[in-house]
Parts: sequence; C-alpha cells; structure tokens
Amino acid sequence: MAEEKKPEAPAAAPRPPGPPAPPPPRNPGMVTATIDGREVVVKPGTSVIEAATRMGIEIPYYCWHKRLSVAANCRQCLVEMSNSPGGKLQPSCQAPLAEGVVVKTDTPRVKDQQRANLEFLLLNHPVDCAICDQAGECKLQDYYVKYDGRPSRLDIPKNVKGKRVALGPTVTLDQERCILCTRCVRFMSEVARNPQLGVANRGTRSEITAFPGQPLDDRYAGNVVDLCPVGALTSTDFRFSGRVWFMSSARSICTGCSRGCNVSLDYLGESAYRLRPRENDQVNQEWMCDQGRLTYKPFNAGRVLKARLGRGAEAQPAARDAAVAAAASALAAAGPGGVAVLLSPLASLEDLLAACAVASEGLGVKEVHVGGRPDGWHDQFLKQADENPNRKGVELAARAFGLAVRPFAELVAAAGSGAVRAVWAVGAELPAAAGALTSLPVLVVQASNGGALADAATVLLPASPAAEADGTYVNFEGRAQRFEAAWYPRGEARPHADLAAALGRALGLETPWRGNREVWLALSPKLAGAAGADFKWDSLPSAGRRRGFVPLAAGTVDGRLAGQRDRLVPEGLEPPERGGVTPSSW
Amino acid sequence: MAYQLDNRPLDLRERFYFPEVIRGIGTLAGHFLKNLFFSRDANPDILARPRGFARSDNVTLQYPEEKAPYPPGYRGLHRLVPRQDGSPRCVACYMCATACPAQCIYIEAGEVAGDPIEKYPVKFVIDELRCVVCGFCVEACPKDAIRMDTGEHAPPSLERSGQLQDIKALLRGPAVSYLSDPWLRRPSPSIPADQLAAMKATARPYHADADDEYASTPGFSVRALAAEARERAARAGAK
Repeated sequence: MAEEKKPEAPAAAPRPPGPPAPPPPRNPGMVTATIDGREVVVKPGTSVIEAATRMGIEIPYYCWHKRLSVAANCRQCLVEMSNSPGGKLQPSCQAPLAEGVVVKTDTPRVKDQQRANLEFLLLNHPVDCAICDQAGECKLQDYYVKYDGRPSRLDIPKNVKGKRVALGPTVTLDQERCILCTRCVRFMSEVARNPQLGVANRGTRSEITAFPGQPLDDRYAGNVVDLCPVGALTSTDFRFSGRVWFMSSARSICTGCSRGCNVSLDYLGESAYRLRPRENDQVNQEWMCDQGRLTYKPFNAGRVLKARLGRGAEAQPAARDAAVAAAASALAAAGPGGVAVLLSPLASLEDLLAACAVASEGLGVKEVHVGGRPDGWHDQFLKQADENPNRKGVELAARAFGLAVRPFAELVAAAGSGAVRAVWAVGAELPAAAGALTSLPVLVVQASNGGALADAATVLLPASPAAEADGTYVNFEGRAQRFEAAWYPRGEARPHADLAAALGRALGLETPWRGNREVWLALSPKLAGAAGADFKWDSLPSAGRRRGFVPLAAGTVDGRLAGQRDRLVPEGLEPPERGGVTPSSW
Repeated sequence: MAYQLDNRPLDLRERFYFPEVIRGIGTLAGHFLKNLFFSRDANPDILARPRGFARSDNVTLQYPEEKAPYPPGYRGLHRLVPRQDGSPRCVACYMCATACPAQCIYIEAGEVAGDPIEKYPVKFVIDELRCVVCGFCVEACPKDAIRMDTGEHAPPSLERSGQLQDIKALLRGPAVSYLSDPWLRRPSPSIPADQLAAMKATARPYHADADDEYASTPGFSVRALAAEARERAARAGAK
C-alpha cells in the first residue's frame, strides 16, 4: 500500500474563496452577536438557544435539554443566522454564537419552518389527548396552539405502532405519540449511565424500545417520564389517576432518603398524586430516583386520623385534647427517670425543636432516642443509604437543648430491662422490631401512619406528615431545606410541633407557639446558626401567607362532588380572613 | 285578539236588556256544552287543532297529561352515549368536568385491557341539582360521548341523592359510532372480525368525508340535534 503511487493532485487549482475572516472580538474573551436586533455578549461556545433564552426570546424546541448532550434532531429550533452556509436555517441548540453573527428568530421564513416542522411531527401523531396523561403539560399541544394551529393534511391512514408498551415497572411507552427526540435515550446513557433504551428501525418506522428481554428497570428510569416532551413516556404509577390541570403543586422535599431531593408535590384536595423533581443544582439537579417518587403514598393511605386511648381490646377513640391530657398525666406520673423520648427523623426540624423543648423542660429527660426507617440501598448518584430525610435535624435539635442522641436499640433494651416505663414517640417509624416497647405501660405515640408502634400505643395522637405542614429538613450534608404544606391537616391530625406544644401546655409549660413558623421564630436561636447562615425560613411563605391556599379559588374545577369540594379549615385552626394573608398557624 | 269597541249609544233591543242577557247565556251555554260533551283535542300544537262545529275551543294544555314538545336543541337530561357494544363512548378525559361551570361532574378513570381506547370511566356522576343546564359539557366532549338530547328534564326525587346520576342512569339512548373511532380503526382482540365489519357498516363516516361538516362534528351541534329530532318525529309519525 505504501509503495502505491498516489495520483498527483491537480496542480495549483485556485481555491474557491472561503468565508470571510471573522471580525476581531469586540469584547475580548467573549463573543458579541445580535439576536433579533438586540446585542448579546456571551462566553465562547454558547449556543444560540441558550443566549436567546437568557434574553427572554423564546425559541421552540423538543430535543434540546440543558443537562443532556445536543442531538439537534427535532428541527423545531431552526433560526436564521448570518454565517450559515448557503443561508440555510441553523439549529439554534447546536449552533454556537460567533462574533458579529446576526440571528433572527422571528422572520416569516423561520415561522414557516416552525409550522411546517410541527406539521411533520404531528403527521403520524395519534392526537389521542383525551386519553393521554401528558395533556395539559405537553409541548406538542402548546406549540401547536402557538406555532401551527392548522388541521392535518394527511389523507392516508396514520402509522400504527405499539400503544401502552410496558417498558419496565415504572414507565409505560406509547410509540405512536413519540416524536423521537431521543431525550430518554440520552438520559439513560449519559445521566443514569445505564443505556437501556434505544431507537429501533428506520425512517417512519423508528421507535423507542428497550432491548429484547431487558426491561427498563433502572432505578432512575422515572426521570424519562419528566424528560419526555410529549406523551410517549408516561408514569405507570400516575397513569390515568388524574388530570394535571386540576392539580396544584407544593414545593416539597422528598422524604425517601437523606439526600433531600427537591420535589414538586402535585396534589388535589387532600390527596397527593405524584412527586416530580424540582430543580436544585446543589442537591439533585433535576432528577430523583423511582423509590423517592413513591414516597407520597403514605401521605394518602394508612393514615392515623383520630386519637385513641388504650391498646388492644381496651382501645377506644378519644378526642384529641382528652388524649393529650391523658398522655401528659401518664408521662408525668412515670417520673423523670422512667420516661424516654423517641424522635423520628421523618419529622421536620420544627417538630423536633418543639419536641426537644417539651422533652427537656417538661419531662426532664437528658437524652433522646432516634427511630426512623432502616437503611436501604445507596449509590454514587443521589440515593443515600439512610432513608430518613432529617437525621441531621434530630442531631441539631437535640444539641440545641443539650440532649444526648442515643440509638433505637438502647431504648428497646432499656424498655426490656424495666429502666424505662414510659415512652413518648414523636413519629412512629422504627428501624427494627419494636420488641419490649409494645408492652410498656405508657406508650404515647404521635403517628401519621399506622404501624407496629401505633398499634401498640396506649395513647395514640394523629400527626401530620410532611405534606400537611410547613417545615424544614436538614439533609446529610447539613443543608437545611424548607418545604411547604400542600393541604390542611386531614381529620384530627396536627403537626408534631402542635401536638408537642399541647402536651407541653398540659405539663404546665409555656409553649405559646402555634404553627411551625412560630416554633422556628421561638426556638431557632437555640440552634445558634447550625441550620446554615444563608438559611431563611421565610424563603417559602407559610401556608396562611400563600395566595390561593385557602380556600380554593372561586371557579376552580377539581372534579369533586358537591360537599367534598370546599376546603374547610379544621376546628382549632384559625380561619383565613378575607384576602388569605392571615398568618394562620397550626 | 283584541276587539275594537265603538262607543255608540245603545239601540232599542239593547235598551230592553233581557234579550241581550238571554243571548249571552246562550253563548255561554254553547261553549259550556261544547267543551263538556265534545272530545278535546290533545294535539299540543294548538294552532293545528281543527276548529268549528262540534270541536272544543279549549286551548289550555293539560300538563302533565299533555306535554308540549320541546324545540330541537333543547338541553334536557344528560345521557352518556353508548357504543355499539353498549359500553359508553366516554374515555374519561375530564373535558366536561373541566368545562363545567357548576362543577357538577365527577369522574374516576380506569384502564381497560384489550381495547384500543385504554381508558374508561369507572365512575361518572352528574349532580343534576348542581347542573345549570348550560350544555358546555356537550360542547367540550371530544368523543360525542355526552349529550343533552333526551328531551327530558330532571325528574323529581324525594332525596338529594336521587339527583346524582351515575353511569347506570346516564348510559342510554341509541348507540353512536364513527369510522374514526379507535375501536373501528385498530384491530382489537376484544372485537371479532365479522362483528367489526358489521359495526363499521353502521358507523358514521369520517368527518372529512361527510358533506355537512357541522352536522357530523361530534359534540354539540344545533343542526345535528334538530335533524335527529326531525328524524325521530318522522319515525314516530310513521308508526
């Protein structure tokens, strides 16, 4: 091969004139360009779509995602650029801004391209919005209204592909609705690093599939549902359970592990429907694991909604105030030495501060025990082994009141040996079997959900989970993160802090705080800034200060029957005043 | 009908008084006997009733034995339109519940296996007490699954719960199907081939093929409903 003579290149043919040399940068080290007549200075390598988004200019796109590689295959974001070869439209997600380039995003040519491209994307789309869970948050719907709005001109039958393909345990695929933007494929290979999805076949028969015999069972697979700009990938758990436009969204924190992924808790009335990851670059970017997505279930099902006195055959329902009084007298009777306090790391920091205040000042204990769920799986990405969102919070709250933190096993041993005669449990989640706790003569349990400890309680007080109270979780890095209440406490349930305050009053303490905001204002000085210097409790307003929280806005349609529709403020909670800006607290 | 009265002086006969009294009693007795002994015409179209000798002139409609027909387009009780196999056309898309200004529609969706529509209403309840009979639900429905063409109004009930109409009460009336319906377009294991062919034969054409686009639009259309009412009346007349 090496001896073979290459044919001689034609000598000295005049090179065609190349593009003109780029002008010298007007801002050294940066790129200065013009988008829609407005000058923009960006870092070299910035794509047009990023620069335009920052300027507030909207360019439609499907396949581009800022945390994924650029595919430029949906062709929805094409714009006119003055440096494009032959004057062709350029994909603005892929084309970087160059010095002196003039970009136009609103010319008739660009608009015609956007409309024509949408017509192509919708050509074989089944338009079954009526049965599609994405309806209401679908970019095909939005862009059709905004950029197209014309009827289909297709006069032959549409392609028939797979409907409701169960890709895995969490994701259902509708191949007909897919526009093949490959966001899901890129997510699985680049972020989840588990390339379980691919594009099979060619041309109009292309479809997203998992590989034969290999379901999409990655623990982060649920994120492809959020990534999918259309209704192709839908959540099997959320499937057909509700319409998204009825739902409200509360800024919440996932209770699945100590990472504390920021989530949107989508709820309707007093039920949570799903969790979606909320963007936070420092914690979870915009992803979350599939196990975390299911942590809304305890907010809905298996709740403790009524106070109870006695266990087993003697159990009888009681009013909450009477149960609190009974709990206080029983705990006081057990004496300072015989009382132990069990704190759950699923309770919020405010709950724990209030509980620690009552424990140290009212019950005179010197140490608290930590319950909470047992450890689970973990990985290098998001999931932590500790499946409790607020273990750091327990430590902070205990330290604020000079209480020692002891493991759960010591409490079981002390109960077994008779050293502890009475236990006050704030939260009923247990890392191990309850053992001798279930036969204690006095077991006061504040539980949001039933379980072994709640069943064994001599006094059971209904508590609110994270969806029903404003609060703070401190994640494993020590980052304090606020979450907000989605709905008022169901039934007789109240936040742990309220129950602790009532218990404190019954014990003769001054616990005037009502609501977690007042707990924070009163007790957070004891934390001495341990929650972080830049942590501001009011970064999320408390329930009474949130517009539209109570009652449902007039004309809100939520699909419920009359009599179930009005959100009533439970007894004992301050009714909202006109305008809904009362610092209602509970 | 107004009578023109001219204010003239009384003539001789009228001044005698009694002949006029007797004449008036005669007119009254005539009407009385005619309405008492000759059968009343129950035709609710009052102007179409025959008049004259031995015919009652009574124009009062004896409700509820006699009922005036409602005009075409009258928004009566809701019904859920069935498919040919008797199941509702509704796919629980919640469009009616979304459009409803009175929030009187409650839906719970479920999944159905082996059917191309995938989604169906497990519960579909209309609170007729809350309904303001605006017809927005009919207009919003993308599947021609809910109509108000029954021509009835809500029947009285002794309890409020009697006004909650569920699928059992709502699903009635003639079946409707279009060639564009997914269960006719797609092969489905739940429908045998010969049955599918029969269903296709009775289905309405694609909207694009129909000559009157308005009349074939699924959902609320005064013209379509009026045409159907005329058809019904013609059928009733033929019988």
